[in-house]
Amino acid sequence: METLLQSIVSGVLTGSLYAMIGVGLTVVFGVMRIINLAHGDLVMLGMYGAFWAHVLWRVDPFVSIVLWVPLMFLGGMVVYRFLLRAIIPGGELNTLLYTAGLSLLIANLALFTWTGDYRTIKLPYAVTPLRPFGIAVPIPLAIAFALAILITLALYVFLARTDVGRAIRATSQNPEAAALMGIDVERISMVTFGLGAALAGASGVLLGPSLYLYPTVGEILIAKCFVIVVLGGLGSVVGAIAGGLLLGLVESLGAVYVSVAYKDTIGFVIFLLVLRFRPSGLFGVGKS
Amino acid sequence: MTRAAAAAGVLLLMLAPPLLTGNQFFLHLGITVLLWTLLGVAWNLLGGFAGQVSFGHAAFFGVGAYTTMILYLKGGLAPWYGMILGGLVAVLVSLPIGLICFRLRGPYFSLSTLAVAEIVRLVALNWEGLTDGPVGLLITTLPQVSLGGRAVNWESKVPFYYIIATLAALAMAATWRLSRARLGAYLLAIREDEDAAEAVGIDTVRAKVVTLALSAFFTGLGGGFYGLYYRYVDPDAVFPIALSVEMVFIAVVGGLATVVGPVIGAVFLTTIGELFRERFLVGHLIFYGLFMMLAIRYLPEGIWGGARRAWTGRR
Amino acid sequence: MRRFLVFGLVFGVLLLAAAAPAPAQDTLKIGAPQPMSGPDAPFGDKFKKAYGMAVEEINAKGGVNGKKIEVIIDDHQAKNALAATVAEKLITQTKVLVLTGGRASGQAVEIASVAQRLKTPYVVDHPSADIITAKGFEWVFRNNPTGSIYPQAFNKFISEVPGAMPKSAAVVYDNSVFGKTISNSVMTFLKSKNVPIVNDEAYPVNSLDFKPLMTKVKANNPDFLLMVAVATTDAILLTKHAKEIGVAPRAFVGFGGGFGVEDLAKELGPQSQNVFSSAAWSGNPNDPTVKEFYKKFHDKYGIWPKEHEVEGYSIVFVIADALRRAQLTGNVDADREAIRQSLLKTDMTTVFGKVKFGNWSGPLGDKYTNQNIYSADHSVLAQWLDGKLMNVWPKSNAETNYVFPDNTVKR
Repeated sequence: METLLQSIVSGVLTGSLYAMIGVGLTVVFGVMRIINLAHGDLVMLGMYGAFWAHVLWRVDPFVSIVLWVPLMFLGGMVVYRFLLRAIIPGGELNTLLYTAGLSLLIANLALFTWTGDYRTIKLPYAVTPLRPFGIAVPIPLAIAFALAILITLALYVFLARTDVGRAIRATSQNPEAAALMGIDVERISMVTFGLGAALAGASGVLLGPSLYLYPTVGEILIAKCFVIVVLGGLGSVVGAIAGGLLLGLVESLGAVYVSVAYKDTIGFVIFLLVLRFRPSGLFGVGKS
Repeated sequence: MTRAAAAAGVLLLMLAPPLLTGNQFFLHLGITVLLWTLLGVAWNLLGGFAGQVSFGHAAFFGVGAYTTMILYLKGGLAPWYGMILGGLVAVLVSLPIGLICFRLRGPYFSLSTLAVAEIVRLVALNWEGLTDGPVGLLITTLPQVSLGGRAVNWESKVPFYYIIATLAALAMAATWRLSRARLGAYLLAIREDEDAAEAVGIDTVRAKVVTLALSAFFTGLGGGFYGLYYRYVDPDAVFPIALSVEMVFIAVVGGLATVVGPVIGAVFLTTIGELFRERFLVGHLIFYGLFMMLAIRYLPEGIWGGARRAWTGRR
Repeated sequence: MRRFLVFGLVFGVLLLAAAAPAPAQDTLKIGAPQPMSGPDAPFGDKFKKAYGMAVEEINAKGGVNGKKIEVIIDDHQAKNALAATVAEKLITQTKVLVLTGGRASGQAVEIASVAQRLKTPYVVDHPSADIITAKGFEWVFRNNPTGSIYPQAFNKFISEVPGAMPKSAAVVYDNSVFGKTISNSVMTFLKSKNVPIVNDEAYPVNSLDFKPLMTKVKANNPDFLLMVAVATTDAILLTKHAKEIGVAPRAFVGFGGGFGVEDLAKELGPQSQNVFSSAAWSGNPNDPTVKEFYKKFHDKYGIWPKEHEVEGYSIVFVIADALRRAQLTGNVDADREAIRQSLLKTDMTTVFGKVKFGNWSGPLGDKYTNQNIYSADHSVLAQWLDGKLMNVWPKSNAETNYVFPDNTVKR
């Protein structure tokens, strides 16, 4: 019983962070049909951000989020404006490979400047986990979980209640119609890419204290991210959250009750099964 | 007529290097280029001509490589026969993959192929009875063969060079043939508008499955050749996602849906990789990434596509 | 047309930047394929430092028979095919006399295969897969122990210390050649002692989350937790998550480089307390040469060397010794054969320990060729005590008393 509860708790905690990475990717895809292969590397930048804030300025990594999120937002907009915009007319495949190049560039610049050393963020409160009802809950992961919920709620409010948010949703559903309604699709795309980068940065900051950092960590994250986003339905925020939680749970329960060696396989098989019966994902909209 | 001459010219260019240089390392690079060419051409059949962007071709490559190695090491079958069987096993594997993935379109298709390839990789990694798992399979000696009364020297690069050059030329010929056949026209229709293609009575699923099988066959051959040439196969070497992405990149940099494009893509990428690694020990992938971005930014139709456009534009 | 020109121009500039002439020097060249980029880059860097220091020392004393030596590193990005290309290039283009390096086993197998075909000696410094010296390659030599020898010190410890024989053991290992070999070796030994294995779990290298795995382990309440990790990251997270979930064995035992590097204590802090590390090498600190080496290395680079640095540093001396004894003529092919012959007669001591290459059988029955016959003597059981890795077994190498059973966990 304790084992079952523990696996569910671990699954949900990890899944919430997967979900946050996925949300950033899916928002960007929804608006401009870009599958951003550099998304994992943006998460990596967020992790390093948290690390350096902690090491250089002695700022708690979770606090540093207030600095990195706006910075990543601006950075994302700049990348869109000066690098990505010219590529988009070339089609989905070209943008995808372009972001693959961008991913290599970012990861290897990081390798060059910060070296490949493995680093972790050492927090005094991270040593002993909370143990409610005998279930281990590491404190950094609990904080990250709470912040992830907060950020997701904020995102939800932003998308549902603000003009820009509504414009993003409109563009996501139908860019031509949105343009006809007087929405500046270019500007919305730029804002959305910034938003995606900010979300990536935020999830990096949250993940940092629970994981280790090295420049090519993005590679591992991005593959999981795809599964999540497609599982939930490309472009759907709710879908990405559901997909993240589902993957977290499947991995955790699969590892405990089936086999660690095959836990990733189980994830992929479920992924294919879902697509078999719901070709556009769990919460997918539009035709597939 | 000019086309025949051009084809003969390309063929000559491909076959000439061993006659011009005895430098084993250049021949090794030539072999690498031709292997990548074969893979790029094979991927291009499905991705370029039919517009079905697969991120899972490493699965076929790995299956081909493992089939060749297992048949040789455990069954004693010479690797050149194993290679062809490797291609055929890749075709067998491609059929269920096609049936699962072709129900999906666009990015959903691409990412489902990626998932399938990962499943195949994990199976190869964990099915130790067959594959020896992560330890991998190593060939220490190749069997004796004689050709025209002379024993083939497997320590030289020349026989390998001609094997892979033949395979790449075959794949290019097949592509050329396909682009002029009825199937080629079907694929073009599918790429432009799948629903319309279906509406005019094209059996789109069949066309796609046949193309995938052909593409998988050549990719499997490439995998078999990898085993034969490098003599060591482990799951990380022949099934990684990076390998699938590299195949896509070669086709795109060369020129999608062209016969010659992948050769050019392979030449460029291999040269670039070697040159930058030689010059910058730690930072060379930064430049490789930059090159990817520049190539796509300025030549969205690929080098061959761009060159063709520049040529016709001037006339 | 314009786009094509722009692209051509930029490409041309990039090419010019790349094509710089290599300086020609009359040195004795040693080639070392290493991962300088990609996920294994930190290890490539460790070896680069180690080679650099050894080369500097040897050259400062006049080099080898009046000639300076040089280690040429090339990046294989932890990819097998690229490792073959790099080895091929070092042998045929750079014309190195001898190869070393490799880092991970997959790449090393490929390098060994190329070296064997192109008749160039390859002196392995770190890759541990048994297969490298178990295929009868007469051009391949190995100084470090094979994977199946790693657990020897642990095996001795549980056999010799009263009451230390595990009542049950959970074994978790990464799904790589390294993880497989070591877990296989240790489990074979445990089974021969009738120790029940309650968990036998392979995990993918570079996992992000071991909490589910440790939850499963905890449910079986093992007497010993044995963890094999080729990657430092995995070693750190395995230990961290085991302690967080509350696995409570009498001993946490790590196998593999990751458990022997300073990062473990640095990153885990008090969580590293009492973790055992059964490794290929932990150094005998009572030995003055080891002490001196530690100090020299720390003075030069500001970090304390461990297994990898020692291996890289020592191998240059093994190679230099062989070069010194070989009759070099300037004909590369003849020189490589001469070096191979003199490697066969190597009998010396480095910081890493005694070296003499020979043919013998490993603990799992592999027939080794040119494998260091003193390999088993290198294996040492060490323990993390207050942030320091101290040798605790065998007694002759011990720096301090072991802490066993683990007193940091509540059982």
